[in-house]
Amino acid sequence: MQLTLPPGLSPQGFDGAVKALQGAVGAGWVMTTDADRDAYADIYAPGPETLWGASGAVAPANVEEVQAVVRIANERKLPLWIVARGKNLGYGTAAPRMPGSMVLDLGRMDKILELDPTLGYCVVEPGVGFLDLYERIQREKLPLMMSVPGNGWGSVLGNALDHGIGYTPYGVHASNLCGMEVVLANGDLVRTGLGAMENNHAWHLFPFGYGPSWDQMFSQSNLGVVTKAGMWLMPEPETSLELIYDIPNADDIGWVIDTLAPLKVRGIVEQSIFIPSWLGKMVILGQRKDFWDKPGAIPEWRVQELLKEHKLGYWQVALRLYGEEGIVKAQANVVKAAFKPHLDAPPQERWWRQGEPTNVMDTTLGVPTAVPLQMGDWVGGRSAHMGFSPVVPATGKHVLDQMHRSRKIIDAHDVDFYASFTIGGRFCNNVNMLMYDRDNEEQVEKIKTLFNALIADAAANGYAEYRTHLGWMDSIADTFGFNDHAMRRMTETVKNALDPNGILAPGKNGIWPDAYAAQRGRNLA
Amino acid sequence: MRAGQALSMVVLMAIGLAVTACNVVETNNQAEQAGGPPAGGPPPPPPHIMRAEMAEGDRLNTPMEGEALYSNRCGACHFDWGMGTNLITKQQLALGNPPTMGLLTNREDLTADYVKSVVRMGKGAMPRQTRVDITDSELEKVATYLGKGK
Repeated sequence: MQLTLPPGLSPQGFDGAVKALQGAVGAGWVMTTDADRDAYADIYAPGPETLWGASGAVAPANVEEVQAVVRIANERKLPLWIVARGKNLGYGTAAPRMPGSMVLDLGRMDKILELDPTLGYCVVEPGVGFLDLYERIQREKLPLMMSVPGNGWGSVLGNALDHGIGYTPYGVHASNLCGMEVVLANGDLVRTGLGAMENNHAWHLFPFGYGPSWDQMFSQSNLGVVTKAGMWLMPEPETSLELIYDIPNADDIGWVIDTLAPLKVRGIVEQSIFIPSWLGKMVILGQRKDFWDKPGAIPEWRVQELLKEHKLGYWQVALRLYGEEGIVKAQANVVKAAFKPHLDAPPQERWWRQGEPTNVMDTTLGVPTAVPLQMGDWVGGRSAHMGFSPVVPATGKHVLDQMHRSRKIIDAHDVDFYASFTIGGRFCNNVNMLMYDRDNEEQVEKIKTLFNALIADAAANGYAEYRTHLGWMDSIADTFGFNDHAMRRMTETVKNALDPNGILAPGKNGIWPDAYAAQRGRNLA
Repeated sequence: MRAGQALSMVVLMAIGLAVTACNVVETNNQAEQAGGPPAGGPPPPPPHIMRAEMAEGDRLNTPMEGEALYSNRCGACHFDWGMGTNLITKQQLALGNPPTMGLLTNREDLTADYVKSVVRMGKGAMPRQTRVDITDSELEKVATYLGKGK
């Protein structure tokens, strides 16, 4: 990709910044060739990659180098886009919101600094991937079980900071963060929570500080560079029991949520319960053309045929219980009793006991894998996906209301309906996968139109997205309009105070510093 | 449509074959013991395969060998049942090749230049790898390791 300069920076100014960065981190870790810019582009970009093209990337090895990079960026007015490992597939990968930004790639900072099986936590740098942490736990045979998202290739911290979700009792990953070290835009170094005290022993254990707590301000944020953080880890359970229910009809999701959410809220079921629709099972069996060879949405009669042929319900609940065997058995009895009035068929049951092997795709037993990403192959070509992901209260009424409205819009755009609900607490993340072949321009345009329609409809009805792609960061921020966008005004006031040159990730989640205010609303999808 | 169903089953069976034929790990039959999957279905996935650890040292002039580098930098997707292996197995089957060719380490036709090109330029679902993902020095070793085709 050709070089796009950051707004306001001359070729000479950019060159000076690059040389200064080379002095700080070493010439080999400042990457500014056309091929480097391609490598940092969004491989799932819904449209031209240049909309979100980086000018290059810089990869510091430690916190001192991060501080040096940030100071140079301030002096040279070089905007940085911060990524942990840059595997944020579906949301922009490693690419920046504002073209010309230099990617601050923290992938080299990959140390696992602490790993404590007694209190169940680790302290990691942003470059530590789920696989790295998993393998370290296995090598040391520690009784810990991770919570992993659909893409195990990514960063533990990056995923948590972007509010990623997993499928164990620790599935709300941002809630597991405890105590961060952060480089501010001026190069200053702060530690949040009890870490603000020198040598505090409970920094990564007690979730607050003394006085106001700032941890959440650094998630989905451009207010600092998190260089390490504590993450709570679940003690490995003595046993785990999987109960699998096939749920026959689309509208059954209403009673399923009304059955499961109270169990989750009461603590009978502790995990984040993932409920994918049938298409979630089909996408790894082959390509769409193997099952339906026409471009429009698979018609309902064919869906029903496929469900029969593949012995699938419309939804599948693969629920997991974790803990001592007696407790798990008691929990299972409560779950089964709750399902009985709705389903005659008993669930399939699969026990796992500590010491038994897990399989390579056991995400609910904390094994990281990238296989779920394979779903992209469903549409063929240079396949990609995005997610329309409103957060809805965990009641059948809200879930059905959201599903009916979004399904109507998706049907009207003649696109396959591929939804899942994950009960993370008193809420569900409703992820609707939108898959497209990047080389099929018509398909890309259709998906973009559809995505815009879904966002507008959800917002009009009181539901917000929890996370989004670069090209919609401003649009989603616009939907948070209470009191004429009071929250955005507050955050941008803080942004301008902490980062007067606006060098840290301008535009991230719709937060624009004054220095780049003219870029708001530009380079949307 | 029945053809599609049959193909999908063939693909899953083939991926399973890639696993057993390479004898990298014991197949975990725990799921089968517990009553599933149904008889005649695809074999259950094997356990996670541990990657080699990264050695200390300058990644721009790596002290590591190609095999260990391949394991650590590429193993997330290119071991048995990895996303890359699954997709390549399908492609290889379509070309009339055995499913074992889904594993890049079994391929005799890869050249070092081709490996470098795919790693940096991407291919299909394979994303382009940055020089933090794998440095030029590391890629050189991996390309030599995989590039058995002359």
